Amino acid sequence: MSDKKRFLDKDYTRRQFLKLSGKSLVGVTMSSAMLSTLGVTAAALAEDKVKVWAFPQGLLVVNPDRCVGCQRCEINCTLTNDGCCSSYISRVKVTRNLYSSRNGEGLYTENNWTYFPDTCRQCEDPACGNACPMGAIYADESGIRKVDTEKCVGCGACTAACPWHMPTVNPVTKKSSKCVMCGACVEGCPSGALSIIPWDKVSAAAQAI
Amino acid sequence: MSVKNGINGWAGSIVRINLTTGTITTEDTLPKYKPYIGGMGLGYKVIWDEVPLDSDPLGPQAKAVFAVGPLTASGVPCSGRMNISCLSCWSKGNSIVDAHMGGHIAHAFKYAGFDAMILEGQSDKPVYIKIDDEKVSIEDASHVWGKGTFETNATLSKENGDTFDVASIGQAGENLVPMSTIITSFGNSGGAGIGAVLGSKKVKALVVRGTGAVKIARPMEVRLLSNYMIKDLVGGNNNHNVPTVPQSWAEYSATSKNRWQGGPGVTWDKAPNGPIDTGEQPSGVINVAAMRCNKGVFDFGAVAEKYTVKQGGCSSCPVRCYTEYELDPLADYDLPTHVSNTCIPITGQTGIYCGFAHDFVDEGDAKIVLGGAGSRAQDDYGVWCNYGNLKTDFARAYKDGILKEHMTEEEWNEVPWDLMESGDPRWAVEFYKRIASGKGAWGVIGKGSYAMYKEWGLDDASKNSAGKNYYDEVSSSNTNVTYNGYPKHHSSEECWQTGLLYNTAYNRDCMIHVITNVVRSGSPFEAVIKPVAESFFGEGCVDAPKAYTPINENKVKLAKWALNEKQWHDSATLCNWMYPMMLSTSKKRGYKGDLELDAKYMSAVVGEDYQRADIECDSERITQMLRAMTAISFKVNLGSTNLRKDHDAIPAWVFDKEPDFKAFEEGTVKMDREDWEKSLDLWYDALGWDKETGIPTRETLEKFDLGDCADKLAELGLIK
Repeated sequence: MSDKKRFLDKDYTRRQFLKLSGKSLVGVTMSSAMLSTLGVTAAALAEDKVKVWAFPQGLLVVNPDRCVGCQRCEINCTLTNDGCCSSYISRVKVTRNLYSSRNGEGLYTENNWTYFPDTCRQCEDPACGNACPMGAIYADESGIRKVDTEKCVGCGACTAACPWHMPTVNPVTKKSSKCVMCGACVEGCPSGALSIIPWDKVSAAAQAI
Repeated sequence: MSVKNGINGWAGSIVRINLTTGTITTEDTLPKYKPYIGGMGLGYKVIWDEVPLDSDPLGPQAKAVFAVGPLTASGVPCSGRMNISCLSCWSKGNSIVDAHMGGHIAHAFKYAGFDAMILEGQSDKPVYIKIDDEKVSIEDASHVWGKGTFETNATLSKENGDTFDVASIGQAGENLVPMSTIITSFGNSGGAGIGAVLGSKKVKALVVRGTGAVKIARPMEVRLLSNYMIKDLVGGNNNHNVPTVPQSWAEYSATSKNRWQGGPGVTWDKAPNGPIDTGEQPSGVINVAAMRCNKGVFDFGAVAEKYTVKQGGCSSCPVRCYTEYELDPLADYDLPTHVSNTCIPITGQTGIYCGFAHDFVDEGDAKIVLGGAGSRAQDDYGVWCNYGNLKTDFARAYKDGILKEHMTEEEWNEVPWDLMESGDPRWAVEFYKRIASGKGAWGVIGKGSYAMYKEWGLDDASKNSAGKNYYDEVSSSNTNVTYNGYPKHHSSEECWQTGLLYNTAYNRDCMIHVITNVVRSGSPFEAVIKPVAESFFGEGCVDAPKAYTPINENKVKLAKWALNEKQWHDSATLCNWMYPMMLSTSKKRGYKGDLELDAKYMSAVVGEDYQRADIECDSERITQMLRAMTAISFKVNLGSTNLRKDHDAIPAWVFDKEPDFKAFEEGTVKMDREDWEKSLDLWYDALGWDKETGIPTRETLEKFDLGDCADKLAELGLIK
């Protein structure tokens, strides 16, 4: 049995855990004590300054304080998944937060130094998939939600329905694309703003509590 | 968009905007511009073909060419630069110059589907250029005309939508002040007087959104090469390859102050959730690359940590040389506390206080607090400092009493000198506001060193009350490297004759970092720098610090390579602060970098077989164009027929400083006049230029398919 399975099978009550923003891959929530042992502080979590999502490879941690705005996450995403280099169709999105984002943050706002990558939450109950009129967004055997490009008609309903507007219709192929959890963004992040805590470490942390 | 038209690397289109007629057209980049790569080379070809070199740089015939290259936004690290070519409105001869801009706009521009934008003609009312993918329009800018760059960039980004990036000129450019920039992102600028060139066209800004993509021939190869570069080759800024702070994995720590200042105990104190320790940053690990540079600590010392929020920089770059500060001492003066910049625009600001700078909270913090206020004000007004000359010219003229002589009593009395004399950070705002006005004596300083020295008789000791020649004077505040109006930029003080040779090549400060990246890397000279450099360029190509030797052919070979590399970087586009990868962080590589990397990137991006020799050939074509255009400008604008005498002459201080030493004695970096003439002979030989005139021969130009340049030189009687 994989480390991930072992961890997910453990029976933790809701009361023991701090609820995190959004819903993760399988509705996992993590205790602040456990996350603290993984280098994520309770204060950062309480203020929603660090975001944590469950990925097949481990827990994806997004630390806005460490994001330096280099866009290498978008570059590596599109080189890997699209065979080109782009910002707009990237499945992880930082450029849209760099200038004058809708949240009043970015280099051209008063909050100049606040910018960080948005990532797909891999929601258990996915708004993108629910909104797709073609049923083109499906979960694969690992639970990762992907776009079936044979079915996708590029209508953009997924983009509109996602609260974070993560899926994007490629203006050239007219097909939507979304995060497939390949990990290229994390591998290429030069500041550790995106990091993955492998499941074996998560498991060890869980055992230690 | 390239993914649409099937071209790898290049976007494929150039947009031409005629501001007089309002006409907007597009043309193909290829095949015409392929031999010129992109960026600088493309810009030079446009200017050469289309702009008579006796044109008024601020007149209707003049053009500005914004250009990126085949590697821009290709995924290759440090490919976020945009080059802008135009005629110089300030340096001797008014020949071709470039502004080079980082930030994020080069990526947006390429993603929008363009390799270049040619601005021609002049608008009669303030406008900005809007590029929304393939939709290009000329928009009204009357509401931001007269505003600073920070307000303009914020306004236009917000108005057009949160995914638009902006670059704008400040009041300096609007008022046609030659010492002017274009500013994007936060403190990222292109200088060389481009602000005034755009101001003369009434173009306030460029606003860009690109939702397209750059097509890559072998994308996974680009990703793997990038990973290899970041893991095994990239160190701190300027690719300095050993950390200053000792780290457990590192064989060496820096032997001299370098630009890898991050390490255990070096922190970003103002991070919103508490200080971030930059920690260990081993070679071979991608996810710590951005923690290495910590440019603020290099620029200001440990006090910078106290005000550091994070590190910014350009698209695609893992190194981050723009420290982002929250300088709270400035709040006491009602000045903005958010500041970001790097090198001279932020470190040189105490110069405008003429000795009256003082500390604020901590010992030694004058430089960072005044630096922050100064860089923010300078960028807001869109003033270019000519790599520091603007500040030193002002300070010299003030201290020598020259400034007072040339101001009317009314003008002098209007200046709040008390702010300068009390070291008040608000002086920076007053100073740059006046430079940007272009009025009176301030306007003379704002014309740049060449015009200022001429107008006030500072180029001849017998013509001014101080009895000084501002080019020749031996003084720590004089760094003029030629008599053309710009200072040295990593010259003989650290790169012996090699540095001085390439410093003569342009019509502005050379901006060449190729050699300083190696010699100031912090690596031990005998164990790393010398063997690595000599493995590429032969015995004796480098000198140890302050232990210089007479000129030899390998030093010239190195200088020629550095010069051509610069052209490559500004054409590809790649960052000249980082490339070429001569050194490595890796002990198992013997700290030797990979000079073939650029060709590997080109092959993977474009899908054609590129060798280092191909890149060097195309790059030297641009060098030859630069020289041919410079020779023509000097002839048609000044009547000069000899670049050796009239363009490449070196001021006396370079040879006369440190009078207790003779050149080539240990302990000095001074140059020797006879050795310098020999250096020039070898330099001209290596580049195929006539030894007497320093002008490219027909044979040389034809070797690079530049027969039309040779014809023009012959028509003017400059060559046979």
